[in-house]
Amino acid sequence: MKTTIIPLGPQHPVLPEPLSFDLVMDNERVLEAIPSIGFIHRGLELLAPKRDFEEFVMIAERICGICSFMHGMGFCSAVEDTLALPLPKRAAQLRVILAELSRVHSHLLWLGLAADAFGFENLFMQTWRLREDVLDIFEETTGGRVIFNIVKVGGMRKDIDDATLARIAAKLESMRPQLKQITDIFLNDYTVKNRLAGLAVLTTAQAKELCVVGPMLRASGVASDQRVGSPLYAGLDWQVATEPDGDCYARCRVRVREIFQSINIISQVARGMAADGIAAKVTGAPNGESFFRAEQPRGEAVYYVRGNGTRFLERFRVRTPTFANVPAVVKLLKGVELADVPTIILTIDPCISCMER
Amino acid sequence: MSIDFTQLAAQELLARVQEHSATGSRLVQISAVALPVAAAGDTPSIELTYSFDKDGALRHLRLTAAPGDKIASISGVYFPAFLYENELHEQFGVHFEGMVLDFKGSLYKTAVRVPFAVAAPVRKTPPAVNPGEPQAK
Repeated sequence: MKTTIIPLGPQHPVLPEPLSFDLVMDNERVLEAIPSIGFIHRGLELLAPKRDFEEFVMIAERICGICSFMHGMGFCSAVEDTLALPLPKRAAQLRVILAELSRVHSHLLWLGLAADAFGFENLFMQTWRLREDVLDIFEETTGGRVIFNIVKVGGMRKDIDDATLARIAAKLESMRPQLKQITDIFLNDYTVKNRLAGLAVLTTAQAKELCVVGPMLRASGVASDQRVGSPLYAGLDWQVATEPDGDCYARCRVRVREIFQSINIISQVARGMAADGIAAKVTGAPNGESFFRAEQPRGEAVYYVRGNGTRFLERFRVRTPTFANVPAVVKLLKGVELADVPTIILTIDPCISCMER
Repeated sequence: MSIDFTQLAAQELLARVQEHSATGSRLVQISAVALPVAAAGDTPSIELTYSFDKDGALRHLRLTAAPGDKIASISGVYFPAFLYENELHEQFGVHFEGMVLDFKGSLYKTAVRVPFAVAAPVRKTPPAVNPGEPQAK
């Protein structure tokens, strides 16, 4: 059989970051997909032994511009674990609010990119217009739209007063009708459904076998979310969003549901803020090792730190959600039409910046 | 703070990983640490940690490898392991036998060969600077 190899990426209109697949094609059908990464690998983990562990938060935040807060928080939580450092409740609540705002903005970003990928450019524009409102909240409260520099080992660097938090919650509530209008298009529009439903199905068994994480796993019917059981989310009323179908449309539905769920969580937290301070005093240096798992917008991220009692860590490692999800794409692309490849790659919400930390 | 792990010999790895797979555990990550050498001239070694999730609980398998050791790939049991193994091969110089997809050192294309293979030097905490005292440049 005569086959053709088509390189997709690293520069491609639907790929916001460099990821490449060599697609072995039989006519229009993909026989095999071989991924290539490493175009922007930075080796940030190698800086951990060269920087004071409290300063390294700034580097951890720069792993990615979309999940920057979550990376800072994950690193700090792992270090706090090695220090056995309890977090003030208000600091924990502020972390939850900023983490959920990050989820809203990340999912809106993805919805916009997805709309752009299947050629619905007006929907892309409207989705990103709403995302701007979330970025404005970041700018108002942290001073940054991409890198916030608000989290630190032991808590938070800055407080957000209760009046501002109430205003943020009200702002998010006021966005609901517009969000519903836009997300209804993703969920009900004939064209969108036609491009996504039944495409690249990952059954529950396959999702488990391929060890996928985040919305990709939940869209295959597995109720796995690192927020469940996390002390940060204790006492909050929310449920893991799952969908049974396992296709691209189900992944879209999960992310849409999580946007509204995050707004609910933020409202709940903002109503009951504690007043016990925003940071615990850090004494000593990390000694020992710890794994910390955080539920980022794209799924479970794993942070590993190992200290030796000095202010310089022996090792820091992060396993990002995209790293866990890329192997599944290799399997998902087998047998699909070439025209569907960009959409399928996009539905894992790949973050190459995270992956190439 | 420390973590609970099961220390293994390299030849036990595949059997233990198959046990985890049989119970429906998810492969969470594989990571490595270059262990500090006790004295100059000692052979450095690499510590590998395999983490699995079962019902929300993490379990770890750990083994130590010397440079040049060949470790059995677990990508035949857990397909996604090929990405971790290729990464560890390039960053730490660990050799994995039987990877389902072997990039042969071209995954990250780093300019420095095995950049993570040397343990970080133990650095002392710098002394606190007295306020007002001029700092050395």
